[in-house]
Amino acid sequence: MSIAVRFDGIVKEFGPVRVLHGVSFDLAPGRVYGLLGENGAGKSTLMKILSGYERPTGGTLHIDGEPRSFKSSRDAEAAGIVLIHQEFNLAEDLTITQNIFLGHERKRGWWLDEAAMRADTLRVLRQVGLDKDPDTPVRHLIVAEKQLVEIAKALARNARLLIMDEPTASLTPGETEALFTLMARLQADGVTIVYISHKLDEVERTTDDVIVMRDGRFVTRQPTRELTRHQMATLMVGREISDLYPDKDPAPTGAVPLLRVEGLTVPGWAADIAFDVKPGEILGFAGLVGAGRTELFEGLLGLRPHQVGRIELEGRAIRIRNPRDAVDQGITYLSEDRKGKGLHVGFGLRENLTLMALETYATPWLKPGAETRALKTAVQDFGIRTGSLDVKAASLSGGNQQKLALAKVLHPEPKVVILDEPTRGVDVGAKRDIYFLIQRLAREGRGVVVVSSELMELVGLCHRVAVMRGGRLRAMVDAQHLTEEELISHATGTNQRDQANGDKPSEEESMTAGR
Amino acid sequence: MKLKKHLLAIAVTAVALAAPGAAFAQNKVNLGVAIPAATHSFTAGIVWWANEAKKELEKANPDLKVTIKTAANAGEQANQLQDLATANKINALVIFPFESAALTKPVAQVKGKGVYVTVVDRGLTDTSAQDAYVSGDNTAFGKVPAEYIAKTLDGKGNIVALRGIATTLDNERMDAFNGVMKAYPDIKLLDAKYANWNRDDAFKVMQDYLTRFKQIDAVWAADDDMAIGVLKAIEQAKRDDIKIVFGGAGAKGMIKTLIDAKDPRIQANVSYSPKFIYDAIKMTAEARLKGEALPATTIIPSVLITKDNAKEFYFPDSPF
Amino acid sequence: MVDRQLDQPAPPRFQRARSLGSRLHAVGPILGLVLLCVAGTLLNPDFASLDNAMNVLTRTAFIGIIAVGMCFVIISGGIDLSVGSMAALIAGMVILLMNTLAGSIDQPVLVVAIGMAASVVLGGVFGLAHGLLITRGRIEPFIVTLGTLGIFRAYLTYFSNGGAITLDDTLSDVYSPVYYTSVIGVPIPVWVFLIVAVAGALILNRTAYGRYVQAIGSNEQVARYAAVNVDRIKVMTYALLGACVGIATLLYVPRLGSSSPTTGLLWELEAIAAVIVGGTALKGGSGSIIGTVIGAVLLSVISNILNLTSVISVYLNAAVQGFVIIIVAFLQRRK
Ligand SMILES: Nc1ncnc2c1ncn2[C@@H]1O[C@H](COP(=O)(O)OP(=O)(O)OP(=O)(O)O)[C@@H](O)[C@H]1O
Ligand SMILES: [Mg+2]
Repeated sequence: MSIAVRFDGIVKEFGPVRVLHGVSFDLAPGRVYGLLGENGAGKSTLMKILSGYERPTGGTLHIDGEPRSFKSSRDAEAAGIVLIHQEFNLAEDLTITQNIFLGHERKRGWWLDEAAMRADTLRVLRQVGLDKDPDTPVRHLIVAEKQLVEIAKALARNARLLIMDEPTASLTPGETEALFTLMARLQADGVTIVYISHKLDEVERTTDDVIVMRDGRFVTRQPTRELTRHQMATLMVGREISDLYPDKDPAPTGAVPLLRVEGLTVPGWAADIAFDVKPGEILGFAGLVGAGRTELFEGLLGLRPHQVGRIELEGRAIRIRNPRDAVDQGITYLSEDRKGKGLHVGFGLRENLTLMALETYATPWLKPGAETRALKTAVQDFGIRTGSLDVKAASLSGGNQQKLALAKVLHPEPKVVILDEPTRGVDVGAKRDIYFLIQRLAREGRGVVVVSSELMELVGLCHRVAVMRGGRLRAMVDAQHLTEEELISHATGTNQRDQANGDKPSEEESMTAGR
Repeated sequence: MKLKKHLLAIAVTAVALAAPGAAFAQNKVNLGVAIPAATHSFTAGIVWWANEAKKELEKANPDLKVTIKTAANAGEQANQLQDLATANKINALVIFPFESAALTKPVAQVKGKGVYVTVVDRGLTDTSAQDAYVSGDNTAFGKVPAEYIAKTLDGKGNIVALRGIATTLDNERMDAFNGVMKAYPDIKLLDAKYANWNRDDAFKVMQDYLTRFKQIDAVWAADDDMAIGVLKAIEQAKRDDIKIVFGGAGAKGMIKTLIDAKDPRIQANVSYSPKFIYDAIKMTAEARLKGEALPATTIIPSVLITKDNAKEFYFPDSPF
Repeated sequence: MVDRQLDQPAPPRFQRARSLGSRLHAVGPILGLVLLCVAGTLLNPDFASLDNAMNVLTRTAFIGIIAVGMCFVIISGGIDLSVGSMAALIAGMVILLMNTLAGSIDQPVLVVAIGMAASVVLGGVFGLAHGLLITRGRIEPFIVTLGTLGIFRAYLTYFSNGGAITLDDTLSDVYSPVYYTSVIGVPIPVWVFLIVAVAGALILNRTAYGRYVQAIGSNEQVARYAAVNVDRIKVMTYALLGACVGIATLLYVPRLGSSSPTTGLLWELEAIAAVIVGGTALKGGSGSIIGTVIGAVLLSVISNILNLTSVISVYLNAAVQGFVIIIVAFLQRRK
């Protein structure tokens, strides 16, 4: 059942750029490995080679002692090696069942065996803890649900070696727990697992060994229990990392809020929400997946049908019908869905960076020189790691795409910036950079809204945190009371004070049923 | 109206031959007419003449009802046939089929219901599906210009030709043209390319002929629309070697040019008028009112039009 | 970090293979055109004459100008099937307008000028209507323009009673130089084509609007989130195409001085083919105006060569066009 892998001097080049410089190590059967490394270290690339999505430029791959070269992912899957992609690989218009069996359709004679596929889908969906009709088109799923479908898809393939590339980047703690249980069960069945993550606490909890890569090279392999998180981070980055979070500035006390929203309702997602952000304030939004945070802000920007009582910017009432109005007023939004809504992956870096502020480059002719200069600055400021400035966004590593997306929404110099999962898929070093960047934005007098599923991040960074559950704003936790426990209790509806107010957790179901 | 008289003569003799001693009792006739929609000037002429026939005949014969249907394609026409037979309950049909093969079956079905069928212009693939066939004279359409050009050039010179769309009708015309030219070895047909009975395409083809051939004596444009494109191309190239541009079908614009002697290159034309639908409707209606049949085949001759007889072919009200 | 990676000595093998591949992709249509021209000259030396070159370019002008507009629409992820009918209807309406005006204004030059302006305005208005139906009405562009394809042509047929609408003789004499005159040896339609193409290339590559068009075609959702006013840009794109059709029509009318229900038949396919042969993807996102221009010229060169020779049976003309289109597409295919 188990599978042993040996990488022997694996080299990978994309055109003139070499991203893997002769990587050699092996994976023993039946163990869980954590694969660590900075953004762009080559983790995904190495695993794509193992699972047949990419061909190595040099070196050999040994499976159970035999040299093998996979011609395609099908080949690798036939050998029992399955990869769950960092960037989703789902056909949006097909249903969950159709996606799970895509390319591996069950047949009875000439006809598709829909019933059997549906039944199997239900089984794997239950295993990953996703309660959805298998006939739902993937387009209608939210990001976390898509991630679960990706995992379910791998399960349905009966993997002997399962590679998970940042599977929890968009999952909630509850879903993450379910995934860990599942991993334990797979390991007990003898499946080898490679677990790529930037969340070091998860790596610490779930893996037997840690493998660290840096700059396309193998650095070390050590038993997980012999390492502290801090040591892991240091190994990855190759230098000492000081505090992850900046020291908090005191909460601003200015009288006039920068942005004030009243009575914002996004039908099916959020009801009658009011909040404000002061200049220099970092306001967090916490909640479980499906709590309606993303949808709330998409509604605010006019990307979804919504009603709103009043929006004030610096004390004056404004109207936002679409994101253009928002940018004109000085409000920008970073989407959590990087590939689907955040970046034009087929475009170059330059075109992506300047898109939201393009008018400033057009007088009336665009100035490619000025755009390139802006890109150079952004690459420096945000630490975007790329072989050349002329590549498409798709060829950046996941974390570096995230940095580019961040650079893009900050490019128009907004007064208020709403960041939805700003550190998703970003390595510890870069995370720290982003936290310090957010603080710098606040110090410049901007309002920053951070929507995040990482409670630690909200606790470490924000002045105040709003907690949503079932489409309603349940609590506004200020700096003194800011702890993970406090946020979880509001988010799950187990907080004593909330319940005293007659706020029943059951309301949650009625809201989510509406979507 | 020499042509009309001529036709009626044919019709009357034919009727007399086909139904000797038939009763002269007036029958009620519900006549359906299925024709192509007016998408270019020739079919527009068809529609106009069919409506003329309806107006005249219904006024003259209280027992006659004419229903006209125009179709944009063969499928639509087949559906209209069904409607005519079942909803309009016709007992006689005049049809200008969109396509021969595709409409043979649908027409046969209508005939199977006891409807008297006259087919116009394009023959069906199975002639047993029709009672009578009225058509233009495609052979003469090619022969008449060939003879005219050969005679005017004194049996010697270079000519180019334009063709319509690759169909049997076009082939018949071209074959007839070539047949005549065989007798004139000194006349050289330089090339014959398709220009789709379209002015713009004819313009382009003629431009390229002019680039390619330095001496052209006559052009057989084979259609009045194409002749317009040809004339524009010659004008643009400022060439004066071309002595004859022969169109065809007798569109009113061209006939007018002939009558007014506006262009020395246009001295003759050949008739192929959409008016034959008028004749077919009239013949069918009048025969059926008397309970008579038409001859199996009636060919409406294509004749040479020159300045002398041009007035007879000039119908300023018709769109064609 | 960046510097370190740039410092890596690149394996020369890769560099060469890559740039050759991408260069072939870019020059595919040009290569095809050059090969065709060589073949044409061998088959008939007159092909290479200046007069013939001007004939071909002048003919290409209509389709070419429409194709430039079409290029924008296709890059934005849309399509317009109605351009042929639109051109025919505009031609018909403008001729009727000029004939009517000639009765009350006795300065033919003025009448013609009004007619030319009306042509562009009508095109813009039709395009605007398309854009609004597609964005506000949320109807697929394929359906909207398939609908208007029929509507435009039917109205022309109605106005002309199925026959031809013909421009008044005196007006025709005033107007026809617009098509038939040359400036510095180059006919006016070719100049206009050139200007439209250069303007199109500048707008596409060097203005914010052009970038937005590409962004929408590449991923409409991302564009919307990036504060691109998607609906407005789309409407502008269809209006731009409409205006291009108007310009093409104002050059077309003086050629034959008439419009009939067969005018502009299948122009939509020729324009779309020119865009795609020129290397723009039908699914949108990116494309090139220069490629489009070459595509348009290439298509008319094929039929020109066929007209200039008799080596190939006339029955096979369409097949030759088909083969050439497929071969050129093969030359410029993406990896
Ligand atoms: N198709 C490609 N073309 C060019 N360069 C590429 C391509 N794919 C990856 N790269 C480069 O290879 C390097 C390694 O990328 P990879 O995706 O393996 O990083 P990673 O370790 O998974 O990073 P992350 O943690 O951000 O996901 C990056 O510098 C990236 O820009
Ligand atoms: Mg990765």
